[in-house]
Amino acid sequence: MSGAAESETQLLIERARGGDTRAFEDLARREERALYRHALRIVGTTADAEDVVQDALFSAWRSIASFQGLSFRAWLFRIATNRALDHLRSRKRRPELPLEPPEDDDVTWSEPAAAGPDLNQLAGDREALALVETALGALPAEQRTALLLRDVEGFPYEEIAVITSVEIGTVKSRIHRGRLAVRNALIARGWRGPDG
Amino acid sequence: MQHPHAELSAYIDGALAPAAQAAVEGHVAACAVCRAHVAELRATVALVHALPDPVPSRRLVPRLATVPAWLAPLRTVMTLASGTAVFLFIASSLLSNITFLATGGAPASAQEANRDTTTAFRADGPAAAQPASTSASGPTPAPSPNAPALARNPTAPPVAQAGDAAASTDDAAKAASERSALGRSDAPGVAAPQERGQFASSEPQRSPLLNPLLWLSLAFLCGAIAIALQRRLRGSV
Repeated sequence: MSGAAESETQLLIERARGGDTRAFEDLARREERALYRHALRIVGTTADAEDVVQDALFSAWRSIASFQGLSFRAWLFRIATNRALDHLRSRKRRPELPLEPPEDDDVTWSEPAAAGPDLNQLAGDREALALVETALGALPAEQRTALLLRDVEGFPYEEIAVITSVEIGTVKSRIHRGRLAVRNALIARGWRGPDG
Repeated sequence: MQHPHAELSAYIDGALAPAAQAAVEGHVAACAVCRAHVAELRATVALVHALPDPVPSRRLVPRLATVPAWLAPLRTVMTLASGTAVFLFIASSLLSNITFLATGGAPASAQEANRDTTTAFRADGPAAAQPASTSASGPTPAPSPNAPALARNPTAPPVAQAGDAAASTDDAAKAASERSALGRSDAPGVAAPQERGQFASSEPQRSPLLNPLLWLSLAFLCGAIAIALQRRLRGSV
């Protein structure tokens, strides 16, 4: 972000904190689509994702006075992520169960079943993207969340730790396990790694 | 060094401590297996990043501009006012007819109007039908927009009953021809410039509250305000 854009954002944040609804709406509109795609991949359905984002933005406005520390974007993602995970838990009606199995360092790398197309050539391949989407959907929600925050939204590990309220080591582990699961899903469908 | 498999994701993200980053880098340079895994992870990241961007079906940013508390009651009042004005518009239209009928002014003025029309009609030919009907519409200067409203109103008086009611019809040509037909059986060829003058001079004496145009404009005004307020209220949380 350029210096001018950053100071403009700062100004908008200050105005929003002072009660300027239009300034907040401007800020929120910038992240609306990103929040939506993030929420959609956590909760799975468009209607739920729209509700989650709308609720999150309204909640963000009400608690704008408590905004500090994080970047404004990370702060919005934190609220939306929490809403989305809460929504998922309430829908599953098993709030006592963790969304992620216990951490396990023994991450396995499955081997290709058969020779297939090169992963690097797949970025534009709709079939591969659909496969990735399915693999993401099958991940434990917290791994999925960390992976999305990193690989789609581009947040640094430190911010992901704050957004998801876990230690940075946990973030590292979730992202890696998530990526590995997606990679394994692709391998299982016959793709092979870029180096053969 | 053992394969640093669990570190590879953090390694490609540059999220390891400098010493660990350098150690993994050294290992990957020498280890074909880890190099392949790094390449796979990078390809996976690229695929996740390339996922299509879904677009929400509606606006998700709530409209937060606080709505003043008096906005909703004002909308209700404006809606009611608009309805009342429509009622008063109809009532005043009827009342002005009844007043004329009661004072006997209506038949007289109707005749005057008829003669008037006939004169103009005969003098200028069919082309003058439109202006003639306009001149006959003296008592009720109602514009064409309210004509359909009157026409729909079952209690609206018949067109030929009074001169001012004739002015309210949306079919001016029909009214003109009707009047000219009546005029022929009356006293044709009587020019009535001074009668018209009297006719016009009696107009300002009527109460402005009996002017249907006033109520019609008020109805439109209140209706427009009510619609605007409703839109404003609907857009907010």
